[in-house]
Amino acid sequence: MGEEVKGEFEPRIIGFTCNWCTYAAADLAGTARMKYPPNIRLIRQMCSGRVDPLFVLKVFLRGADGVFIGGCHPGECHYMTGNLSARRRYSMMKKLLESVGIDPKRLRMEWISASEGIKFSDTVKEFTAQIKGLGPGPFRHIETEGKEQK
Amino acid sequence: MVKGDMYLAQASDEEILKQGESGGAVTALLKFALDSGVVDAVLGVKKRDGNNRYDAVLDLITDPEKVIDCAGSLHCVSLNIARNVKEYLGGAKQMKIAVLCKPCDARAIIEIAKRKQINRDNLLLIGLNCTGTLPPVVAKEMLISEYEVDPNEVVMEDIEGGELIVTLADGTKIAKDLLELEKKGYGRRDNCRRCNVSIPTLADIACGKWGVKEGEKKTFTEVCSDKGAEFIDNAIKTGVIKVEPPGEDAIEERKRKDREAIELSNKCEAEDLKELREISLDDRLAYWLHMFDRCIKCFSCRDACPICYCKKCFLEPDRGYVKGGEVPPDRMFHLTRLAHDGDSCVNCGQCQDACPAEIPLTRLYLMLNIKLSPMFDYVSGMDVEQKPPLIAAKDEEASIDDIDIFLVKGEAGEVVPQQ
Ligand SMILES: Cc1cc2nc3c(=O)[nH]c(=O)nc-3n(C[C@H](O)[C@H](O)[C@H](O)COP(=O)(O)OP(=O)(O)OC[C@H]3O[C@@H](n4cnc5c(N)ncnc54)[C@H](O)[C@@H]3O)c2cc1C
Ligand code: SF4
Ligand code: SF4
Ligand code: FES
Repeated sequence: MGEEVKGEFEPRIIGFTCNWCTYAAADLAGTARMKYPPNIRLIRQMCSGRVDPLFVLKVFLRGADGVFIGGCHPGECHYMTGNLSARRRYSMMKKLLESVGIDPKRLRMEWISASEGIKFSDTVKEFTAQIKGLGPGPFRHIETEGKEQK
Repeated sequence: MVKGDMYLAQASDEEILKQGESGGAVTALLKFALDSGVVDAVLGVKKRDGNNRYDAVLDLITDPEKVIDCAGSLHCVSLNIARNVKEYLGGAKQMKIAVLCKPCDARAIIEIAKRKQINRDNLLLIGLNCTGTLPPVVAKEMLISEYEVDPNEVVMEDIEGGELIVTLADGTKIAKDLLELEKKGYGRRDNCRRCNVSIPTLADIACGKWGVKEGEKKTFTEVCSDKGAEFIDNAIKTGVIKVEPPGEDAIEERKRKDREAIELSNKCEAEDLKELREISLDDRLAYWLHMFDRCIKCFSCRDACPICYCKKCFLEPDRGYVKGGEVPPDRMFHLTRLAHDGDSCVNCGQCQDACPAEIPLTRLYLMLNIKLSPMFDYVSGMDVEQKPPLIAAKDEEASIDDIDIFLVKGEAGEVVPQQ
């Protein structure tokens, strides 16, 4: 993962994005040269419904400062209800994080269609600023698989 | 009889009436269920060796004459009835079983049935009202140090009006304030303090002592399903139980006691979770990580959990989340279980009872479950037709754009699991 710029905290955000919408929107934002912070690393999924809550947990435990999930708008999922299940899981995860003591604001989900490049870049800007405000995630000091180092 | 009917019932058989905790109706009904072939077996709870009430065992009974061995209520118990039905009785897929169940047992059975690992159709759920069970070893200690009695002299326990009342062989009754005992680390199992379903109306019939006049040997029985109604009708026809309608006052009294039990559990819940709810997120995380790091990875919590449903468990090393051979395990161990079971947890307390590291697991699960319940209009284990919330997305949700719809609903209020 990227090196920190001295002095300022640079969040590491993992974005699970649906191939058919948000991932394409990110692509669009890129080709249209819309600027957005480089803090987000995208992991392409075939559907937001593929984002297992365990992915989110694992990513947090391995040091991510924020997790973003992007899916097709309701009614537009290529697999009909994948995004509806994703919304339910996301809602559960918000409460799970809160229950164990991880700030739920570190998890965010949005519907971003393939044509919404601007929404994608705005969301990433906003979310990055929010995570900057929250500071490093609770497992930030973990650098490698399962090993803790300070 | 129809669903919702209530009456006071009594076993016709003298011996059963004598042995029964209340009116012996439960024992009489179970015997009838075997005699008439409604079920192939009864899963009852009895004292080990017929005399050790601190070592209750499950008994799969096929001989109608043996049902009476289970008569009476055992309070110093944390038998895992649901998990036993799933694991050791093949999920009741091959035989019809009448299962004796407290509300938590019944709710756990319903949750497993939703996941097709128990066949609900083959079960006759005989529900018993419940306001708490006690951890047996600690209970014995309590009887010696607080009640100053020989545990072997005890013939009955009862929780009533905020007191734990113990009856000795010579008829002496000793009552002590339940919450005072619990302050000293005695009393009910930790989860029972916060349990808020006392009358198992989700079973086929719900039986209890509430609503029965002091000194009378009767069982207050509520019919809770069509199956229960048909069963009771036939039992009455053959004369194995005698029934009379309860008066309005009896029904009121039962309602009042149920309400009081719920108030007490809400009070305990508020007390037990207060600190965890009030501390900062960082402190809460530090608390749970500290707890998780006590774990010796014995897998007891997983093996005890009636809801744990994966055929191939995600905690095993080959699933790629929790490495093998590491103690304490990767925190994914605990968070995976929480993610898989939190929405459906019935607060039965089996995980915590099983945990040698004494991690207060039920507090974590309950804290999450209480949040999820209003979000998804879901009370775990109440309705076998209601799908677990994470797989229950409805087509109409496709026309709702709001990403926070469930979170907003959750803020609006908490659901009390009462029908
Ligand atoms: C732990 C416990 C707490 C209870 N608390 C209340 C209460 O607060 N209010 C109320 O109205 N009623 C309560 N009851 C129900 C009451 O004690 C009687 O069981 C009920 O009235 C039926 O009486 P009976 O004479 O018809 O049952 P019996 O004919 O005596 O039959 C009792 C049956 O209960 C089963 N049983 C005994 N112990 C357990 C156990 N730990 N778990 C599962 N099954 C068991 C036995 O297998 C037996 O078949 C409680 C019961 C238990 C077991
Ligand atoms: S969890 Fe509730 S139903 Fe189960 S034993 Fe405790 S008080 Fe009874
Ligand atoms: S029962 Fe306790 S010690 Fe055993 S695996 Fe579960 S949490 Fe760890
Ligand atoms: S295909 Fe994009 S969310 Fe399902």
